[in-house]
Amino acid sequence: MKAVIIGAGLGGLLAGAKLSKAGYEVEVFERLPFIGGRFANLDYKGFKLSTGALHMIPHGSRGPLAQLLREVGAHVNIIDSNPMAIIRKDDGENIEFHDFRNEISITKRVKLATILAYSLKFKPKSDISFRDWVLKYFDDEFLLKLADSFCGWSLSLKAKDVPAREMLEIIDKMYLYKGSGVPQGGCGAVTGALADVIRSGGGKIHTKSCVDKIIIDGNRAKGVKVSGKTVDSDLVISDMGHQETARMYECMDDGYLMRINSVVPSKGIKICLGANEPLIGHSGVYFTPYAERINGINEVTQADPSLAPQGKHLVMSHQAVLSDNLEEEINIGLSDLKRLFPEKKYEVLMVQSYSGGWPVNRASSGTEIGNMTPVNDLYIVGDGAKGKGGIEVEGVALGVMNVMRELGVSS
Amino acid sequence: MKVDKTCVGCGQCAAFCPYDAIVVFGRAFMNEKCVECGICVEYCPACAISEDK
Repeated sequence: MKAVIIGAGLGGLLAGAKLSKAGYEVEVFERLPFIGGRFANLDYKGFKLSTGALHMIPHGSRGPLAQLLREVGAHVNIIDSNPMAIIRKDDGENIEFHDFRNEISITKRVKLATILAYSLKFKPKSDISFRDWVLKYFDDEFLLKLADSFCGWSLSLKAKDVPAREMLEIIDKMYLYKGSGVPQGGCGAVTGALADVIRSGGGKIHTKSCVDKIIIDGNRAKGVKVSGKTVDSDLVISDMGHQETARMYECMDDGYLMRINSVVPSKGIKICLGANEPLIGHSGVYFTPYAERINGINEVTQADPSLAPQGKHLVMSHQAVLSDNLEEEINIGLSDLKRLFPEKKYEVLMVQSYSGGWPVNRASSGTEIGNMTPVNDLYIVGDGAKGKGGIEVEGVALGVMNVMRELGVSS
Repeated sequence: MKVDKTCVGCGQCAAFCPYDAIVVFGRAFMNEKCVECGICVEYCPACAISEDK
């Protein structure tokens, strides 16, 4: 059996590694000159920046991505963050994430425990947003700010744009898998290890190879056309999202086309700082609910010092994009950082923004439409087809697991 | 080099530019160090950069 994979991002490489282990002949085509997509390292001024993700795995060594990496034998050391996360309060005081309950009244705390237990079991069927859900039961300024900070950091969305049921799925998974971790060597170590698995299984990965067309015959994907050459296969997996994939063949399913056009990408801004001293001083997420734009920050050199030149720290902030004026959004983010670290000296290494054709997620959380297409033997993986309740790359891993289950490729 | 509207400002071109000739702030801007080598074109995921003609 032969599988063609379009795109060597995390989703494509995870799928490729799983299929390679299951005995498929795997051939991956990547249009860019390097592999990893938005989960690769960018060497810059001696720092290891990233093409996208913030060198963090949302559920660390216990989550779905870590599980898949173990299953395929990809050697990645994931350093779990400790503390998991810290919240910076309005007055500048820092508290442990789990202690956020202490910031609300006892009545609300009791209510939170019961409502959360109930809602996790019986997720809302309506389209109520997470913000409205918090408002409905608590109407608490701190909780609303924290909701925006968490949704902004982990999903690049405001709480008003995340369905409550999706957020409750995420909270479920936080109870199950716990907090984040940093892959030693950064994002690139993960995608590099997956590429090694594929290659050592005899699979091929081509860069600078743009797929022009997916070949369909009798409603089955039969291969692809790459630079005029036909590559036959029994299975095609696309890491490009539903919309771009549908443009590569003549899709006749109007219902599907309508559904995929309603998918909304998410936008975000990452500011990378280099510092001679620690700015936050731990390897967990630093949530900043009271900043104007910055949702959270991490300092990955606390987990892996090799991500910066010796003695330096790499600090990355993330913010959801709230207006169309990107320059202004960035400037507000930079001012936030000045206010958060007034006494500290740091250098802004690079400001990176993601939207449109190269977004944070092709399908923002809660708008995913699954991994299937109207065509047999054609599946979608990656950030355009994440699994339910999966934050970022965990969602990518859950999506790949869904496809493997569909294909009967067991763990 | 010419950068069109599809540039999102991801910074990939700036990291791969051997001449340190690209500044990114919401989008990519080439500075006077640019020698028009064209390496950035193939590293752009949005296909936003083209040879200036």
